[in-house]
Parts: sequence; structure tokens; C-alpha cells
Amino acid sequence: MKTAAELNFGERGTIAEIDCTHPSSRRILEFGFTPGQVIELISKATFNDPIAILLRGSLIAIRKSEADCIKLK
Amino acid sequence: MISDVETPVITLIGPPNSGKTTIFNILSGKNYKTVNYPGSTVEYYTSRILAKYNIHAELLDSPGLISLIPESVDEQVTINSLYQHSTLGTPQLLIATVDASQLSRHLLLPVQLLKSGFNVIIALTMNDILKKRNINISIEKLGEELGCSVVQINGRTKEGLGKLISTMNSNLDNLGNDGKQKPVRYEQIIKNSSLVDTFLEIEEIISKVLEFQGVDENINLTNANEQLKVHPSILKNNGFTTDELTLKLDRVLLHKYWGFLIFILVMGLTFTSIFWLAQPLMDLIDDLFSWLNKLVLTSLQNGWFSNLVAEGMISGVGSVLVFVPQIIILFVILGVLEDTGYLARGAMLIDKPLSKIGLNGRSFVPMLSGFACAIPAMLAARTIPNKKERLITIFIIPLMSCSARLPVYALLIAYLVPRDKLWLGGFLLAGIYLFGITISIVIAALVNRFRQKLFKTEDTSTFILELPTYRIPKLSSVLSHTYNSSKEYLLRAGPVILIFSLLLWFLVYFPNSNTQVETEGITKTQILQIEKSERLEGSYASTIGRFIQPIMKPLGMDWRIGVSLISAFAAREVFVSSLALTFKVTTEEEANQNTLLNSLRSATIEDNGEKLFTTATTLGLIVFFIFALQCVSTIAVSRKETGGWKIPVTQVFVFTTLAYTMSLITVNGLRLLGIE
Repeated sequence: MKTAAELNFGERGTIAEIDCTHPSSRRILEFGFTPGQVIELISKATFNDPIAILLRGSLIAIRKSEADCIKLK
Repeated sequence: MISDVETPVITLIGPPNSGKTTIFNILSGKNYKTVNYPGSTVEYYTSRILAKYNIHAELLDSPGLISLIPESVDEQVTINSLYQHSTLGTPQLLIATVDASQLSRHLLLPVQLLKSGFNVIIALTMNDILKKRNINISIEKLGEELGCSVVQINGRTKEGLGKLISTMNSNLDNLGNDGKQKPVRYEQIIKNSSLVDTFLEIEEIISKVLEFQGVDENINLTNANEQLKVHPSILKNNGFTTDELTLKLDRVLLHKYWGFLIFILVMGLTFTSIFWLAQPLMDLIDDLFSWLNKLVLTSLQNGWFSNLVAEGMISGVGSVLVFVPQIIILFVILGVLEDTGYLARGAMLIDKPLSKIGLNGRSFVPMLSGFACAIPAMLAARTIPNKKERLITIFIIPLMSCSARLPVYALLIAYLVPRDKLWLGGFLLAGIYLFGITISIVIAALVNRFRQKLFKTEDTSTFILELPTYRIPKLSSVLSHTYNSSKEYLLRAGPVILIFSLLLWFLVYFPNSNTQVETEGITKTQILQIEKSERLEGSYASTIGRFIQPIMKPLGMDWRIGVSLISAFAAREVFVSSLALTFKVTTEEEANQNTLLNSLRSATIEDNGEKLFTTATTLGLIVFFIFALQCVSTIAVSRKETGGWKIPVTQVFVFTTLAYTMSLITVNGLRLLGIE
């Protein structure tokens, strides 16, 4: 299953589920990464990490290791 | 009505970037106190609401929160105090700030608060952003759906403030006799897994309250969005789009290569302007205080009292105030960068390299501030949510070459560099800074590895950060923040430096307080300086200096440098004036560098007549200053910010040991290589 960390520049995806075993999963949900939301990768930092994701009209910077628990459809 | 005995408590609460602080500033008139939550290092602000608003209540500003379920120890403290503050009880009223342009994310907290049973008023901010996109939020419908009052307010123009005040007033009036709230812990009502459900509820509510202006209500949402040139996929995001300008700017500022380059450039400019802009002001303060010092010494009757005033008090106050220009400039620049929304991007760009050594993107600003002064830097580390990362950041901040070390380096470099090769000095200074940074990286990595011995925290490292919409900074809020931060610096560092400089004065002045010198043919200033040197030689300070002579000897140094190093504990730059004292530099011009350099050149070690300041010992001294934590106020602030003595004591031990060992290696290594 593809995750948000694997998105390419400018690519969109719809969130299928959040991996609840990840320690940051609750915080990720609280930021609004909920199933059904469409997200778009806006930028990757110099070392490809963290990445900036467009979600619910806001830009969120997130480490790839954390974006990994956002599973996409 | 509320009884007069107890003042009602109103707490402001909201996610970061929701305009909470702006509203706090408006209601409090920017006149607030910083308070710690009982038994913790988490801080919040408190103030009376300005009299002109006619609300008799205590206003609390809480740290930014995203949800009522705590993620870290600090959030736990904030949330606990929200339910039951140990001295203030439960707040009678909460004002929850919500960024209207991020409604679907920011409503989470107010919804949780309402479910918990708090008395809440929602303050919608940034409504102008939505208006530009022809979207309106029906506050009546939103209030009905949520079951609380909703007010729109513009933090910049204060539009809607009257409505907020009257809503707060009528809300407090309707509270009943005691106005006591009895909210239930959120965790007890709801399971974590229902976060998704809460968001679905919020989306449901939002779909009911959004109004698209200039569009016939009969036209369905898809059409409306097409007219507004909203991408169809955004439809699922409840009609919210991101600011186009922000996305365009981020294409450059968050670009993989350009973004990093611009970041380095911006930070380089910030760094250099801390020095270039502040230098004239710092010189001015310096001149003013040496003038005052001289004035008191020459006009008051010569005795211990005039000396105490001049050398103890005036010089002490001067060494505190001299850093204020730098701190003000630092806070203004960082405030502007923060307000535009750039600082959050900077944190994102630098996160990866810093995470390698156990730090966080948010450690960057505190570290940069450390080049001005460690005290505001440690205070700035509060913005790091993860405790482990905050403690490591605080640990390495003293290694950032603060500006108090600059006069010391300037003197020692001037001594080393031949007059025809002044450029070499620049390289040497740059080398010192780079060396300091390299060392701090190594130490951070080491502390990260052995952190279990130093502190126990179970926070997992995370970096999820909202990148706010770019905005033109509001100068008044930047200035008020700068004012408060500078005031905080003075309150924190001031007393410590002052007490320490008084103590040093005592050690330098007594017991040999009455000195007799030949006064013929020399000016009054010179007399004073010779007296000073004579006094020092027989003082307690020199006794201590001679006592540590055996420790200084392996470094090729003697008691006079030892005394100067001890004096440097008040503030590092005192080392220079102290050297002038111990080497009996007597000139009209105070701290005339050339005279001091000449007497350093001719100085010899007393018992064997060897040259004291050789290339080896001078470099050794520079190395000593790179490592040593010679600053009492830094130690005091480190204790306060880490909530105990463990970290500051470890810092002093590690950095002093390192300073001594590295200096020893430098001096003797160079000697082995034949460099004296």
C-alpha cells in the first residue's frame, strides 16, 4: 500500500487509513489526516525529508518516518 | 452575578497560529506576567483584562494546544491546569481561538472542550482570508450546531472586539452564583479511536455553516466551486483552499536546493546583523558606563564606597546592559521572520541534519540566538515541544560562541596576528566559530547517546508542524514581543551578574584596601589605576589566583591569568579588563588595546622568567574560552529552564574539564611541535 511518504512532487492521494501502531499516529490524526481526505505533496526539503503536505487547505510539514503511517488508497 | 470575593478566571486556548496571542495582547494591553505552572517549567501568561473593557476577570494565556489528549509531559501539565489549576481552580470561561481559514482542523479542540463540559466562547480569527475567497461562515448556525457563542474578530483591525467583549460579559453574568465549572476529563468520555468520528462530525457541521457569497444558493456546491476556480478534489476539504501566493512563494522558498540556499542566506544575514547593527550601540553603552565609572571615581572621595559604586555597581550594570542592543535586534529580526511565517519553514529545512544528532528543526533558532547570548537562547528553546530535544539543545547552547567572548577573542587574536597580516585574524575568528559549531555537534551526539544517564524522558521524537500562510508582519506585535523578551533577559540575567560582580569587587578590593602610591607627576586617572593594581596584588582574588597557580602551570599560565579567568565568571568580556588590571596597564585611555598588548608581550612568568604569552599559551587560552562555561547567569537560567541542578552541574563539569584538557593539549602539543 502506498503511503504519504512515497508521494512524488505535486502528486495527490486520498487517505485510506492511519497506521495506529505508529507512536505519532494520534498526533497525525489530530492534525486532520483522516481517512477520505485528499492530500497533495507540495515540497520536499533538501535531504528529501521532511515533506510539506497540503491538507484541508493548510500546509503541514511532517517527517517521512511519520508520513509513512498515512496509508493511501 | 459573580461574587466579589473571587475573581473569575478566563483562559485563552487554541492551536498554534490561531491568533490566540494577538487576542491576549488586545485584552491585556500587552501588560502581562510570565508564570510557571506549579512544579513545572511550562510557562503561561497572566494578566488582568484592561479596565476599559469593563470585565472584572483574570486572563490566562495557555501554550498552543491541538487537542485535549496530551502527547507530551508539557501538554499534560497544560491540560491538567486547564481542568484544575492548583491555585486558580477551573476557569469560569474559555475563549477558544479558531483560524476560520483552517476551520476543519482548528475546530477539533473547541469540540473536545465543549464535550468535556467547559463554558466556551469561540473566537473566529482570520475571517478576512475567507472573505477574499467569497466564503462566509454563518456564525449563528455554527453557534447553534456547537452549542456555544461564536464571535468573529480581526486581530489586526480589532474589528469585532466590541462583540467579543459584550459576549464575554453576558456569558459571565449568566453563569449563576458561583460560576464554578465542573468539566469531565475528555479521556473519560471518549476513546482515542473516535478522533476520526469527531472529524466527521466537524465536517458535517462545516457543510451546514459555509455560505458562498455571490452565488445563488440553489446552485449546487460543485458549480459554486467551479466558479471560484476551486479544484474539484478540494471539494472534499470543505471548500478550503490554500493561499495561492503562499503556494507560489513556497515553490521557491521550500525548493529542494534554492530553498536551502535562501535559508542559509537569510540566517547568515540575521547572524551578521546581530553583530554589525548592534556594535555601535554596544560601544555607546560601553563608553557611557566607563565614563560614569570614571566620573564617580574622580569626583567622589576616594574610598571603599566610591569604589564599590564605580567598580562594583556601575561596571556590573554596564556588563548586563551592554548586551541589550544585540538581544533587541535578534528578537526583532526573529520576530519578523516568525510573523511572516518563514521561521516554521526554516525549521522544516534544517530538521533532517539536526535530527541526526538528536535535535529537532526547532532547535535551530535557539542555537542561532546562542551566538548573541546563551540566556535568550535557552529561553527560546521552550518552543521545542519534545523534552529530550529541548534538553539537548539547552545543553549545547553554551558552546555557541556568544558575543561576550568576542572582546576576548579580539584581544588574543590581535596579540597573535602580525600587523601586516591582519586578514589572518578574520580567518582565525571564522575558524573559532566553526570549531565551536563542530564541537557542539559532537557534544550533542554524545549527550544524545548517553542521555539516559542525564535525564529520563519518554517523548518520541516527532516533527509535525503547520506551515502558516505568508503574511506581512505586524510591527507592533513584534515590538511588544521584543520588549517583553528583553525585559525577561534583564530580570533573569541582571540580578545574577550584579551580585556576582559585587562579590568579585569584594574579592578584588579587600583586604589590601588602603594603598599608597607615588603621586608625583602623574594624572589622577593614572593614580587610580596604579592603586587598583597594587590593591589587586594583595587582594583575596590574588590569593585565590595563587592558590590555583599549580593548576595553571601545566597550561604555561600563571596566577594573573587565573584571576582573570575567575573574574570572567561574572561575564566573559570582564577577562579583558581584568587582564589590564593584573598587568598594571596604566594609561589615560581606558582599555587601550595597544598598551595592553605591549604589556602582555613583555609579561614573564614570575618564578622562571619565561615569556608568559606565547603563541602556544595564547591559542591555549582561545581554546579554553571556546569550551568553558564561564557565565553565572547561564548556569542560573539553565537550572530554571531544565527544572533542576543536574543539567547545569553536568554542563559546568563537562565544559570546564573539556576547556582545561583541550587547552592543555593545545599548549603542550604546540610546544612539542616547536611552536612557542
